[in-house]
Amino acid sequence: MSFEPILTKYRHEKDSHTIDFYRGHGGYEQAKKAIHDWAPDDLIEEVKKSNLRGRGGAGFPTGVKWSFVPKQTDKPKYLAVNADESEPGTFKDRVIMETDPHLLLEGIMISCWAVGINTAYIYIRGEMVHGYNQLVSACKEAYAAGFLGKGIFGSDFELDVTVHRGAGAYICGEETGMLTSLEGERGQPKLKPPFPAIEGLFGCPTVVNNVETLANLPFILEKGADHFRSIGPEKSPGPKLFCVSGHVEKPGTYELPMGVNLLTLINEHCGGVWKGRKLKAVIPGGSSAHVLHADECDVNMDIESLAAGGSMLGSAGVIVMDETTDMVDALLNIMKFYHHESCGQCTPCREGTGWLEKIVHRLHQGRGRKEDLDVVFDVCDRMIGKTICVLADAAAFPAMSFIDKFRDEFLAKCTNSDRSTAQATSGAGGVNV
Amino acid sequence: MSDSGAGMVSWVLNGDPVESPAGMTILEAAKAHGAELPHFCYHPGLSIAGNCRICLVETNRSPKPAISCSERISDGLEVQTHSEKAVEAREGVMEFQLINHPLDCPVCDKAGECTLQDYSFDHGPDESRFVEKKNIRHTKDLGPTIKIWGNRCIVCTRCIRFCDEISGTGELCVVARGDRSVVDVFPGIPIDNPLAGNVVDICPVGALISKDFMFQSRVWNNEHTETVCGGCARGCNVTVETNEGFVKRLMPRENTDVNDWWMCDFGRYGWRYAHDDRRVSVPRRGAEAVETELEAHRDLGELVRGAWGGSKKVAIVVDPFLTCEEAHLVGRVAAGTGATVGGWLPPSGDELTFPGKFKISGEKCPNRRGVEAVLGQEVFGSQAKAVESMLNSGGVDLVIVFAGFPNADCPDALASAVGKATARVAFTLFDGAWSEAADLVLPSASVFEKEGTYVNEDGRLQRVRSKDRPGDAQLAQPGLHSASISSPWVTSELVALQRALVHVGDAERSLSAAGVFRQLADSNEHFKGQSHRGIPATGVPLGGLAPAGVGEGSES
Ligand SMILES: Cc1cc2nc3c(=O)[nH]c(=O)nc-3n(C[C@H](O)[C@H](O)[C@H](O)COP(=O)(O)O)c2cc1C
Ligand code: SF4
Ligand code: SF4
Ligand code: SF4
Ligand code: FES
Repeated sequence: MSFEPILTKYRHEKDSHTIDFYRGHGGYEQAKKAIHDWAPDDLIEEVKKSNLRGRGGAGFPTGVKWSFVPKQTDKPKYLAVNADESEPGTFKDRVIMETDPHLLLEGIMISCWAVGINTAYIYIRGEMVHGYNQLVSACKEAYAAGFLGKGIFGSDFELDVTVHRGAGAYICGEETGMLTSLEGERGQPKLKPPFPAIEGLFGCPTVVNNVETLANLPFILEKGADHFRSIGPEKSPGPKLFCVSGHVEKPGTYELPMGVNLLTLINEHCGGVWKGRKLKAVIPGGSSAHVLHADECDVNMDIESLAAGGSMLGSAGVIVMDETTDMVDALLNIMKFYHHESCGQCTPCREGTGWLEKIVHRLHQGRGRKEDLDVVFDVCDRMIGKTICVLADAAAFPAMSFIDKFRDEFLAKCTNSDRSTAQATSGAGGVNV
Repeated sequence: MSDSGAGMVSWVLNGDPVESPAGMTILEAAKAHGAELPHFCYHPGLSIAGNCRICLVETNRSPKPAISCSERISDGLEVQTHSEKAVEAREGVMEFQLINHPLDCPVCDKAGECTLQDYSFDHGPDESRFVEKKNIRHTKDLGPTIKIWGNRCIVCTRCIRFCDEISGTGELCVVARGDRSVVDVFPGIPIDNPLAGNVVDICPVGALISKDFMFQSRVWNNEHTETVCGGCARGCNVTVETNEGFVKRLMPRENTDVNDWWMCDFGRYGWRYAHDDRRVSVPRRGAEAVETELEAHRDLGELVRGAWGGSKKVAIVVDPFLTCEEAHLVGRVAAGTGATVGGWLPPSGDELTFPGKFKISGEKCPNRRGVEAVLGQEVFGSQAKAVESMLNSGGVDLVIVFAGFPNADCPDALASAVGKATARVAFTLFDGAWSEAADLVLPSASVFEKEGTYVNEDGRLQRVRSKDRPGDAQLAQPGLHSASISSPWVTSELVALQRALVHVGDAERSLSAAGVFRQLADSNEHFKGQSHRGIPATGVPLGGLAPAGVGEGSES
């Protein structure tokens, strides 16, 4: 199958991040076309027709999300671009921001024109210093060229873009967490409803979109919704960035049509499992997704197929584990992450993530008890679906699926029967002074 | 199902069709139908946080359980509060709440009134499955009056929302994340605002502790008296908690017409004067203690009898700490003796209104409006001036001064004016120029020792109550100094004035405060139709009194 990259076409070219390069390759023509030729409502319809679905993890149809924003409102409307990219195993948005920041800016212009927005914020993960610098200089160039600011392309459309750095919290990637953080508050999710489209940033209607989602827009306008829909499966079409890490020969970010087979991705594009070893398991969509056993990996990488396969596309962070992987160790790593990143407002998540880590930590030390595995499942049950955001679920899914699918490895760690020994030696207590 | 009325919603609570006003949350609507749902983070006076998750219920809206404190009722909604799913969800939350909790109830001041304790009993596991090490969080001072035991904090954020929304001072925040989260102040900025004490009340657990109450008593040993605060003219509804006759703490009582759920720290901690050793607790003739209280009251009666019928020049100086009933008795003495009555007010302070609408009155006394309603609009205005110049011009035969001020000094001018009268009686909390000038000194009762009514700055009639009901107890045991019986309380002006009137022959016997109030209601337009029993727990607006500020004294 020959597929030409669309979003990352120029990533390896010199100066691909500059406005001159970008314009030299047809850049900003689609934004201009949008502002000159497209009525905003028609543009929203076109994006709906394209069936573009959010690339941030939840896969919500982008055009539909835009249509929730009230047309008549006396409040300002905002676009908040989710560039927090903190899901373990995920590094696709950074590729766009570092190598083609103007593509993102053009996508921002198109979405803001469609929804009637004059102010956009890009909330970028604090650790991504290079991406931040690239975005800031791209914005400067775009302002200087008159593509941002007042009277864009001779119209009376205005748009300001501000790049805002996060301070290193996974939870600020959750959309309402990101908005609270942007507002200057402690970054933690808010109760929904109200949804951001109605009451988001500073209490105003707000569109939250992922970087990769927005980067698709110039292409949709250029080739039309029908063409876009013809790439990959009908229900979740388009080009897609897959981040492959772990035990493969050639890890990296691969742009392929949505729906590529997971084994094809690993074996043909990434050079197969490294060191000639056998595949043991794959996390297909970032650490929050259910792990797939090697037997389950003949699955297409799109939203529907992965859901049917008992996992999710999520952020498309594909983590490959070879036959030597210690699954208890791998799970401990994931549990540490969620324990560390839970914002702590909801009781089940605050306490559950810590409890899970402590149990898995004890298992890892070989001090597990038989009943521990049942406790883990109970704890997960008591977390899932009972919190403000889905971080609790995201922590529970890997715990359940790792134990479910690799039970023998976990059972082998459950030889202890003495409660007091278990207590004395578990060392993952989050001491805070 | 019946048609819902305008603005009503028909929904189903545990299988029973019910109706509630549209817009209510499940938790509020269920409560109105008699089903109390557990809650930690929800507080009726604060915004909804929805973080503790203990209020989860099952609904027909979604397969996920819903938090009842935030989800609103709508037509057709079906709520199960005790289904297997709902119970399991709550048990789950309780188990999580308890895994890192120190369970140090035996040394925790909140024990006995702790929501976590109560719910643990109702919904919690009987055995812990948690065998790991518990987390440790900080124990430290957050401000001059408040400490935090971080290990007990369940991160409900009530205290934080209070400081953000009600006091508007924003001193508190959550620091750290996940199960390390705990409440703290910003470096160098302690929690120190006039409403700070409320955060201790609303903390559902023993995380926030009042230094004033710390280790002072187990709450279940405290006796509760529902009364009002005497700290200012706001008249916040409070519960005074006493133990063996001593005040242990004051807690606000909900009254959305006056103080919502709150009170100020001045009022809250302003009870210590009542147990101050320097208080005048025994009647004196000059410097010499009178053997029995009854004897002192007879002295007073004798002086009043000497002036009865208008043969003498009599002046009475009242204070705004007197109850309406006591003011009524003063009125009777004045009527019998032809006395001129004036009064004096403590210096006013700043009026403060907070973002949450809570108000502290600038008038630092509880009953100016009540005393005016009884003794005349001008009692603290032109009449006060009249009494002062009458005293200064000399020739006054008898002066009776009421100086029940906890925190203020009588103006020097008035004290020296009092000194010029021939016979001088002073009721007082503490000694001062006026009592030194007096030849009969009688103890004033503090607001904690009074039975009767006050009228707040909005013209609201509210009950003042005392644990030991001196109005009744001392009536039953005349001969004794109240200070010498089991309670440390002094006998109130209500008793002294009635004994004097009985001595004169103007009354047959002493009545309870309720009895005196009946006389007042019969004789005074403002109080017509009212009775102690008829006054609701949250008070009642008094007829014919303008809302606020009117009758501010005519001078200046
Ligand atoms: C715990 C958590 C972390 C998330 N992190 C990110 C993130 O880093 N970047 C992102 O785009 N979306 C993230 N999301 C998803 C966002 O909430 C949101 O769905 C998304 O930004 C919407 O954009 P889209 O519709 O364009 O995908 C996260 C969600 C959760 C629950
Ligand atoms: S689920 Fe966890 S991360 Fe999400 S809001 Fe609740 S405590 Fe915070
Ligand atoms: S200190 Fe008390 S009120 Fe404040 S968050 Fe903790 S438990 Fe809640
Ligand atoms: S506002 Fe006034 S009445 Fe209320 S607690 Fe404070 S002093 Fe007492
Ligand atoms: S009371 Fe509803 S979530 Fe806390």
